[in-house]
Amino acid sequence: MATVKNVQAAQPVPKLQNYEKGTSNLSRSLARLRRHRMALVGAALLVFVFGFVIVGSILIPVRASIYNEPARALQYPSGDLPFGTDVIGRDLLARTVYGGQVSLFVGVMAVIVQMIVGTLIGLIGGYMGGTVDSLLMRLAEAMLSIPQLFLALIALRIFSDPTQFPDFTLFGRTYSSTMIVIVFVIGLTSWMRVARIVRSVVLSVKEQEYITSARSIGAGNLRIIFRHVLPNCLAPIIVSATLGVASAILLEAYLGFLGLGVRAPTPTWGNIMGEANSYIGLWYYWFFPALFIMLTTLGINFLGDGLRDAFDPRSLR
Amino acid sequence: MTQYILRRILQALPLLFILSFVLFAFTNALGDPLAVFAESRQRPTASQREEIRRRMGLDRPMFEQYVTWMVGNDWQMIDVNGDGSNIQPGTRRGVLRGDLGVSFVTRKPAWTRIEERLPATLTLMIPSYTITLVLALAIGVYSATRQYTLVDNIITGASFFFYSMPIFFIALMTIYIFGVQFSRWDLPALPIGGTGNGTTIDLIVHMLMPVFCLVAIQLAGYVRFIRSSMLEVLGQDYVRTAHSKGLSESNVVRKHALKNAALPLITLIGLDLPFLLAGAVVTERIFAWPGMGRLFIESFERADVPVMMAILMLLCVMVVVFQILTDVVYTWFDPRIRY
Repeated sequence: MATVKNVQAAQPVPKLQNYEKGTSNLSRSLARLRRHRMALVGAALLVFVFGFVIVGSILIPVRASIYNEPARALQYPSGDLPFGTDVIGRDLLARTVYGGQVSLFVGVMAVIVQMIVGTLIGLIGGYMGGTVDSLLMRLAEAMLSIPQLFLALIALRIFSDPTQFPDFTLFGRTYSSTMIVIVFVIGLTSWMRVARIVRSVVLSVKEQEYITSARSIGAGNLRIIFRHVLPNCLAPIIVSATLGVASAILLEAYLGFLGLGVRAPTPTWGNIMGEANSYIGLWYYWFFPALFIMLTTLGINFLGDGLRDAFDPRSLR
Repeated sequence: MTQYILRRILQALPLLFILSFVLFAFTNALGDPLAVFAESRQRPTASQREEIRRRMGLDRPMFEQYVTWMVGNDWQMIDVNGDGSNIQPGTRRGVLRGDLGVSFVTRKPAWTRIEERLPATLTLMIPSYTITLVLALAIGVYSATRQYTLVDNIITGASFFFYSMPIFFIALMTIYIFGVQFSRWDLPALPIGGTGNGTTIDLIVHMLMPVFCLVAIQLAGYVRFIRSSMLEVLGQDYVRTAHSKGLSESNVVRKHALKNAALPLITLIGLDLPFLLAGAVVTERIFAWPGMGRLFIESFERADVPVMMAILMLLCVMVVVFQILTDVVYTWFDPRIRY
């Protein structure tokens, strides 16, 4: 008997691979993400874009982005002004840096608004069911049947009256109030998809046995939602939030391009391009903001795709 | 089936009513439609403006204006001068009787404004959407049947690239290369904007760049979608069975796989088609194309409520119509579905 035991003990214990060691789903997903080549490229692109915007704002004073000198208008890129100058002689490099800050800020903040609203509506609808649910879903349906750009335009005009919302100054920089308005406009016109995703997760989780058992030991609605339902929604929320930043930045850029987005004096990638629309022949005027918008959305889409693969247990490779 | 369609229409009606009210409230809050007169050469006096306001019913509360928009006011009398000296009957018949109202700006019926612009949008959207679909089917199926080969990887990479590309980037690049640089190099340059001088040839020449840009932008998303739904179907048991029966590869792909992969595609098309009517706001702006997107922006900038409402309600109705059509087409593609 003893010998048999010894033989068994001598057998090598199968070594767990590194990524299987982590006990939580999250660490396993992160490990999967690290092996996703596209996601790494996306992350690198985003690091580059954010690095450009942050390092740029350290090296270039904010003054340079508004300082105009008509004598040097529409100058070709040179050593001093690597991105050239715009129609009233502002440094386009400085404007791309500071415009990028605003564009990225708007994109990220709009998605936070969108996620909060979408998650709340999805949770309420899915959890409560009945009339509340069907009313909320009709609302989502109604808002999806109008192009988002149209909705955003109308909402933006109503809530961006400069007499009611004057420019404000923060850390010595003046911003147009439209910057804040646009965050809410984009957020409140794009929550529908998130709400639908969250609702569908809630509906499937609600029927699970552990919810029944949680209820049977006396857990309240809020506890069930925050302890059991919400964690299950986390993965799809993170994925759609990531991809949502790309579409929010694009929508801001479209609004800015049409001249109806964030107003002067605040530059954004979108409104720089809107100004450049009359000077298509001067490539350096519109090329750089467009390039940075593209790098950002490309990075986000790569990363978001990687996240989706990483969080989806079916895509174990 | 007929019963199902009728039920769907009845379900959609309350939604359309609520939508129309909310949109009416929002578009009315955009600003004073009479502000456009401030720029005109013959500026109306204050009393004239009041008269116009009363004639158009703009002095009424918003809710009453909405009722007028909906059912008309030809059963009411309008006190044009405000002192009872000139009382005229109302002339509007309301949306429910097919009268979308009169544009505040051009004084033409709102529907005429749409009729003027819709053909331009459709000449742009129908070719580009058709080309997109055909190319996307070809590329998507090709790429799915050769998963993880070099060609597939290139296609996936390229579609990611174009999927992330903002439309103005590709539009400005094509204009810069084919419009601006070609004429600098004395090559035959493409015209930069507009619809040409009215001949078909000239129209097609003007369409080349906008259609190319629209296809390039839309194509990527469709290719990705078709590729992934084809891959899902190709992994099914019945596809393996079809292969093992000895059917040819093209037969399996076309008859067994594609027909099943088409179902999610139909849903997507049904969701996208109504929005083609809205035009492409940014593309139309860049290429100076007189379509629906620009009409919306123009009426938006002048707070032209009747025209905006006409466009928005047209879209909402089309969304409902295409949803029902999608369901009908579904039964044809998938005989298991019955209503």
